[in-house]
Amino acid sequence: MEEGAAGDSARRFVTAQVQDAASACALLAPKTLQEVEADGHCAAVLGDGAPAAVPRLESVEVYGTNAIARFDADTVFLARFRDGWRVTAAHCRPDGPQRPYQCEIQAG
Amino acid sequence: MRRLREHGLAVSFTALLVGALVGEAFAGRADYNDQAADAGLPVLGMLQYLTSAHFAADVAENWQSEYLQFTVFILLTVWLVQRGSPESKPLDKAGAESDEEQKVGPHATRDSPAWARLGGWRTRVYSHSLGLVMTLFFLGSWLAQFVAGRAAYNADQLKDLQAPLGWGEYALAPDFWNRTLQNWQSEFLAVASMVVLSIYLRERGSPESKPVGEPHDSTGVEG
Repeated sequence: MEEGAAGDSARRFVTAQVQDAASACALLAPKTLQEVEADGHCAAVLGDGAPAAVPRLESVEVYGTNAIARFDADTVFLARFRDGWRVTAAHCRPDGPQRPYQCEIQAG
Repeated sequence: MRRLREHGLAVSFTALLVGALVGEAFAGRADYNDQAADAGLPVLGMLQYLTSAHFAADVAENWQSEYLQFTVFILLTVWLVQRGSPESKPLDKAGAESDEEQKVGPHATRDSPAWARLGGWRTRVYSHSLGLVMTLFFLGSWLAQFVAGRAAYNADQLKDLQAPLGWGEYALAPDFWNRTLQNWQSEFLAVASMVVLSIYLRERGSPESKPVGEPHDSTGVEG
């Protein structure tokens, strides 16, 4: 059930990024949004990094209040806040075993 | 009141257990939320924390080691003895002992438990029921630590933008074995300390100690 809700939020985020970057900003976790806005207006930053097409969701794993959504051309990390799942990091790619993903959008 | 006094040990330790669990819940939640707030991640309410993998793993890792400690102690003291220790049987009693000494089958008394009197598989099972149930409690709580520990570890992995581990990977992960062995070593230390210290030291009135005036080399004597 939580996998479905986290997957929905991740899918809405990547879709919004391609079609309407401003609404994608509303799906970012507060600290991630703060970090993105340090580089400029959120919609412009997300729009610049948006993929050409909406990626396809392949899998979602949820542990506690944290989730990872794997798309065919992207990986998104999420956390469940009081108002629902928010994106904590996006445009992530693996950087070897037991190493953190390298993410273009993340907090801190 | 008399009933309460006659069950003082069980009642007191149950109360201590509940008190310690409540304290662990408050301290554990505060610790979890401190770290989550620092990372800008969601904090947990008390009910959410009590049903979280983090709380379950922290509780289960301690439970499994306690059950292991007493299970190993119960089983090893059948065969191993320690000169001078009240925790040991007399030196010539090592082993499962005779049916007469154990009051089973034809040697059972009128007050003996039914399965001790009946003979056959029921007496064999009942003869090891304490070790069996303690072993099941140990294995159950170790399994709970494994399941909850993996979920808690993977939640932390995701917070750190790392991939979660599968069941097989977590069975070999340092986190699982560190949680396990750091508890085991402390339990074995406690038992070894009690077995050896009780040879030379006394606690007047305690059945875990020899009588104060009992010689150091008296074995299997409780106060």
